[in-house]
Amino acid sequence: MGRFWRLLAALALALGALGASAQEEDDPVKEAEKQKKQLLEQSGGILPSDLYVQQGEELFKAKRGPKQASLEACDFGRGPGRLEGVVGRLPRYFFDTRRVEDLDSRIRTCMIRLQGFRPEEIRRSEVVAIAFYIASLSNEQTMYVRPLMPQEKKLYELGEKLFYLRAGPRDMGCASCHVTYVGRRAGVLPYSDLLGDKRVASHWPAFRYSNDQAWTMADRIRACYANLGMPAPDFYSEPIIALTLFMNAQARGARMDLPGFIR
Amino acid sequence: MRRFYLIALLAFLGPASGQPGPVYITPELQRLIQAGGQNYANVLLRQAPDQALCSIHRNRLPPEVLGSFIEEQRRLIKYPEGGRLMGDWKRGEAIYNTLARGNCFSCHVGSPLNIGGNVGPSLEKYGQRGTSEAVQRYTYEVIYNPWAYFPCTVMYRFGHGGLLKPEEIADVVAYLLDPSSDFNTKPALKR
Repeated sequence: MGRFWRLLAALALALGALGASAQEEDDPVKEAEKQKKQLLEQSGGILPSDLYVQQGEELFKAKRGPKQASLEACDFGRGPGRLEGVVGRLPRYFFDTRRVEDLDSRIRTCMIRLQGFRPEEIRRSEVVAIAFYIASLSNEQTMYVRPLMPQEKKLYELGEKLFYLRAGPRDMGCASCHVTYVGRRAGVLPYSDLLGDKRVASHWPAFRYSNDQAWTMADRIRACYANLGMPAPDFYSEPIIALTLFMNAQARGARMDLPGFIR
Repeated sequence: MRRFYLIALLAFLGPASGQPGPVYITPELQRLIQAGGQNYANVLLRQAPDQALCSIHRNRLPPEVLGSFIEEQRRLIKYPEGGRLMGDWKRGEAIYNTLARGNCFSCHVGSPLNIGGNVGPSLEKYGQRGTSEAVQRYTYEVIYNPWAYFPCTVMYRFGHGGLLKPEEIADVVAYLLDPSSDFNTKPALKR
């Protein structure tokens, strides 16, 4: 754990220095690259996401829970213990749970089934850290989400419908911004092109340097709802998995940048 | 709980009996939404027929439904008591520039207090249009219910959605139109 705290101290200093950087790039991708480079120089080659990855690896390999088991036997779709590239194939259908699952919900499933945790005992921060660790093993691999099973096809269709659904006092709907106003700004960031730009869905989970937050796609989706005054769908719930499946399938063929580093 | 079932039943029968309203949320989609939790489902499953129509057509209404849609949206507009469409620009300033209220600056350029976004058109020096009854009415109606002019647009239907009271909308109209308002006398902040 000593190394962890040393890294943390170095990063705190480097992050503090980030704000003082010169003028901002207009393209958020370029701006993030610039910030990442600066942070790497100032911290001696480590990023905040590295800490989450390290924490996640420890949690993943430790014998924990009522069954005193690690998560190393967890099957993320390529067989028990095979983690390379799995993020690019999720969400997908799993025969053991008879459900389509995303990265977050699959981690939760294994914490329940392998380690014996009760659902209410599962800490979100642990799931996020483990997600970062697994994501780090998919870095630079190809996004390959393709709904083929009937259950996947069905959920993809429902995710697409949910993406265009408008409701609530603000007539909220994902597509009203992320299709109609792509590239326009309401606030600091331009709306990302979820249907046209494969980079968008292929960098989650990600570290958001301007807010110092570690987010998975689930956090991103929930914040979209909350920003428009809507109640967000529960963590690990089907609406989140359906939207993630729809969006990840749009990114098929992208080279994944994981864990992402974004504003 | 029994009342809930009754409402659910009525909601289900509504489109089938009475007038045929557009339905977007199929039973399958309904089950999916319910899995997102009670609060989430409560809002999404209360989708109104006009919201359903925008969802079905992915925010681009075809010509054959456009006319009746706009007519219906116009009917939803209510006016302040006494009919004054221009209120107090100072109060309007606070509404326009507050994230949790009007949040107008997030999408429009024009405010001297906040950097504007470009989701909506620039409103810089909006007061140049003058303060004729027609300009006041148009401005008021667009804020009360933008769908009466721009069907399915992202802009909130402030009056119809209950986000602002008619009098508050009149205050925002004043902020935009009053020649002495800071909106028209001070330079707009831009990126």
